[in-house]
Amino acid sequence: MKISSKLKRSIVSWLILSPLMIAVLFPFAVMLITALKPATEVLRPTWWPSSFQWQNFITMWSATNFGSALWNSLYVAVLSTALSIVVSIPAAYALSRFRFVGKGFVQQFLLVSQMLSPIVLVIGLFRLLVALKLLDNLNAVVFVYATFNIAFSVWMLQSYFSTIPKDLEEAAWTEGATPWQALRRVFLPLALPAVTVTAIFSFINAWNEFVIALTMLRNQDSYTLPIQVFSLVAGRYTVEWHHVMAAAFTATIPIAIVFAWLQRYLVRGLALGAVK
Amino acid sequence: MNRSIFTNPYVLTAPAFLLAAFIILWPLFQIGEISLNDVNRFGQLRGFSGLDNFTAVLSDPQFLAACWRTVIWTVGIVAGTILISIPVALILNQDFYGRGIARVIIMLPWAVSLTMTAIVWRWALSGESGMLNSALRGLGLIDENIQWLAQSGTAFPVQIAIGILVSIPFTTTIFLGGLSSIPDDLYEAAQLEGANGWQTFAEITLPLLRPFINIAVVMNTISVFNSFPIIWATTQGGPANSTDILVTYLYKLGFNFGKLGEASALSLLMFALLLFFTVIYVRLAMRGDRA
Repeated sequence: MKISSKLKRSIVSWLILSPLMIAVLFPFAVMLITALKPATEVLRPTWWPSSFQWQNFITMWSATNFGSALWNSLYVAVLSTALSIVVSIPAAYALSRFRFVGKGFVQQFLLVSQMLSPIVLVIGLFRLLVALKLLDNLNAVVFVYATFNIAFSVWMLQSYFSTIPKDLEEAAWTEGATPWQALRRVFLPLALPAVTVTAIFSFINAWNEFVIALTMLRNQDSYTLPIQVFSLVAGRYTVEWHHVMAAAFTATIPIAIVFAWLQRYLVRGLALGAVK
Repeated sequence: MNRSIFTNPYVLTAPAFLLAAFIILWPLFQIGEISLNDVNRFGQLRGFSGLDNFTAVLSDPQFLAACWRTVIWTVGIVAGTILISIPVALILNQDFYGRGIARVIIMLPWAVSLTMTAIVWRWALSGESGMLNSALRGLGLIDENIQWLAQSGTAFPVQIAIGILVSIPFTTTIFLGGLSSIPDDLYEAAQLEGANGWQTFAEITLPLLRPFINIAVVMNTISVFNSFPIIWATTQGGPANSTDILVTYLYKLGFNFGKLGEASALSLLMFALLLFFTVIYVRLAMRGDRA
């Protein structure tokens, strides 16, 4: 009896969600099918290709300069994530553990910096990089991404850190541990899940970022994946759509898989952060 | 207590604070300076010009059109997202077969870069070879191909729909977190009292979800207001500037037309608006803290 009511609920749930799911999956279907079409059929508005051209993925790799863009994206995403985590952990720790003069100011400053998206600052950022002669420099982009991730990272970490009892470090102190030992041996292992989730968020943000990369990276050798794919489409008379879609698909799927695996942790983490 | 740099909050917050201050405050200062000067397209300042840049922006009909479109864009996406996300979160919060897969599918757009999403839609929506048109024709819903992105009547609504689609995952996630914080015994009590499904929703779920809805509205407003890639990668504000919102208009002013002074003035105006949203956010968050 109970099982049949669950079955009924399942059917209703799937039916209600199905229009949204179709809209979500539609672009993925478009990406994959276009990527597999023979070059001659791409512009013909049929759904199913006459044959599946898996080698499109191989020809795409060199035709779109995919390897170099992939490397640039990985470089920028990994380093900016590392940098923002390294500066955010101590800040979040201080904000969750200590009362100090100026704490409110630091929190408000971080909040405002989170609301300010790069697009509003883009002219000033552009001038900053021009003044420092760092235009077209991936390391400069690393710093900008890291900075715009700090507010979010501190916010996420702080809300997790507050749930770790302070007694644990104090116990370690009374046992004679130095603050550094207490942090490294007691606190950080407990905080590791939060750090991991935050890092993955930062990584995805950097991986997907558009405006900064579009403005600061002027040379094709320094393009990240979104800019590289965009450059294949924007302002061209002929677009090799099967290559574009193959590139978009290849750039998207690894992140989507990681994300699918992690999304259950996000529900808890974000909800915790949102109301704190 | 031990004296150590690891217990000194100023030392601990300094790296994050200094990095953010350098990369955010310096450009902000630059924008302020440019906005008050006459500046050529290479960024050389040619003397103080008072509020000329501001009046130039404010009297530009394109600015007013972009302003109005930004309001439609933001309200449309935020309202659409909230209205769809509440029932979606309610369904995903129930126990049903395949819920894990359903959650993954609904969350998928979050993982994809907006640029890629927009480029794929640009292709799918293309008039002659787009797969949306061929799908709709195959289903017998339309007879003629629709030029989705090439005419202003359809381009902007379609972009808003894409915006809603990509905002649903984050919003649903917030609501799922909110729903999981509602204690089960409230629902059991309601059931004992004989409340029906709608009453339970209106009297228990909705009021308790209210703080999460507030947060979702403010955070979505800020991110949608700032959203650049969807419009830039589908139409670049065209056809004939009919899909420009403030961010794309700002980018064009600065980097396509070389009007750096006006673009900086517009940046500051947008900054003031964002600050206003932020104040609302802080108010809401503080109220959540006290509750």
